[in-house]
Amino acid sequence: MATDAHILPLARPAPRGILRSLLLTLPILIWSLLMLFHPGTNTDPKSRIAAALTAIFMTALFFMMMRTRSTYRWRRYFFVSLGILFPIGFIHNLLVMRGFMGIPVEEMIAGRTPFCFMPIPLLILPAAFTRTLVFPGSILGSQHGIAAMVALWLAITLVMGKGWCSYACFFGGIEEGMAAIPPRAKIRKLDTRWRYLPWAVLLAMVLLSLALFEPAYCMWLCPFKAVTEYVAARNALGLVQNAIFVLLFAGLVIMLPLLTKKRTQCSFFCPFGAFQSIFNKTSIFEIKIDPAHCKPCLLCQNACPNLSLSKESIARGETLLSCMKCGACVDVCPRQAIVWHIKGTEIAWKPERARLMFLYAAWAMAVMFGGSIITQGVATILHFLV
Amino acid sequence: MKISAKLGYTAAGATVLAALLTPFLLMGTFSKGFVALGLQVDEVYTGGPKVRAIPMGAYSINVHRPVYQHFLQSEKPFVQLDWRPVSALPQRVSDAVDVDGDGQPDLRVSFDVPRDPKASLRVDVDSLNPRYQAMRNAGKERYSRLIVRVDNAILVRVPLANP
Repeated sequence: MATDAHILPLARPAPRGILRSLLLTLPILIWSLLMLFHPGTNTDPKSRIAAALTAIFMTALFFMMMRTRSTYRWRRYFFVSLGILFPIGFIHNLLVMRGFMGIPVEEMIAGRTPFCFMPIPLLILPAAFTRTLVFPGSILGSQHGIAAMVALWLAITLVMGKGWCSYACFFGGIEEGMAAIPPRAKIRKLDTRWRYLPWAVLLAMVLLSLALFEPAYCMWLCPFKAVTEYVAARNALGLVQNAIFVLLFAGLVIMLPLLTKKRTQCSFFCPFGAFQSIFNKTSIFEIKIDPAHCKPCLLCQNACPNLSLSKESIARGETLLSCMKCGACVDVCPRQAIVWHIKGTEIAWKPERARLMFLYAAWAMAVMFGGSIITQGVATILHFLV
Repeated sequence: MKISAKLGYTAAGATVLAALLTPFLLMGTFSKGFVALGLQVDEVYTGGPKVRAIPMGAYSINVHRPVYQHFLQSEKPFVQLDWRPVSALPQRVSDAVDVDGDGQPDLRVSFDVPRDPKASLRVDVDSLNPRYQAMRNAGKERYSRLIVRVDNAILVRVPLANP
């Protein structure tokens, strides 16, 4: 392995001109206005202001991505905002509708439990064997219906593969924000075998969901129940479930990211993330390492928020299957050896073109899905402030 | 440019196009495709399909098909009965219900109807047919054994004794 002295950084690409960056940003501005101001939404002034702020925010971030030619830190502003604002908007909605965060049995029977994407892999086997969905929601329903969320997940997955975890997941931003707080990691050595744990959790939860005929992960292990919608604790069992949610949230989403500067819940626990990894195989966009330029300094490995690079994978010139396409490794590489890549093309042949194509697709999805969530969160804050 | 690179760029372009078409076309198409699969939400939550309604004057009792458990599901088999509309119910309901439609009452179900829609409910069920379990002062302990108010109906679920 090369020491730092051997790493001769290539010249960083110059910032793109302002006019050219503005031109490249223009489609995203139009898209933001189209998505956040479409008819039937934002009827009250606070929601309109929230939508306008969101459109400016998303467009400004994209402009900075164009201008600086870097991705990760601008995407992170969006993603952390999404992670913080989603619970604010969601909890406010719950409090307005039912007065508390717990899911009462009446709401489950009425099919009014909002469906998030987490249970999608858990529904597959019960649906295949019995044509039954093991979730107390409704199949139809414009906002939180199962069909709408599955359709959205499928579309975003087709476009981004596991990029979902960096541009669409409304939970990951909390731990990414936590990981960004400390200047350096207190725990630096992480046993890479923990990377297999999400697959084990996925397998266990899929089989348990089939056997017990309930969304086992949502019932027992989802850390984000602590900040969204917990099980109404009607008995001792409910108390145990809620205690598990809170402990997992405190440990995996707050404490460990602060100590390791990694997205620990995503890296070591999330079964949906493991499931989503499979779709990196079907996505046309990927991250590649150009062996001609790479001196294995391992800066990329250290920068990766979910341990998707290993010495072996770097030697092979590729990321691991769990890569979330966040761009941290690309931005940190001093020799521009790590590049955005379109499958089938030569590595390092016009990587900026590949990055632009990916970013247009990913940011369009981010504005459509995350933008509406951010708008709701901002509107909630405005509701309390103004 | 190699053919593989041409295919790669074509697929990448198609992906960007798919992203732009998502809110206008793909979401609706995928959503309709999912609905067309004909999947149903688990009857433990929905209570199963309604099989008949028993008119009781101003209100009626809907009788649902019995619900049975799948695999290792912890809920017992049950049958759901709905009293609706709540606004037409007397302060105290005590009805003999013919669940299986053979002309003989199978259960006597008794509960108070509080004016406050958020007030907790309690139900007594006397079993007149050994197929159904009696319940005393039951609330909402389990999906298979409960009384709850959902919108404009009061739902009672009675466990089956001999499924």
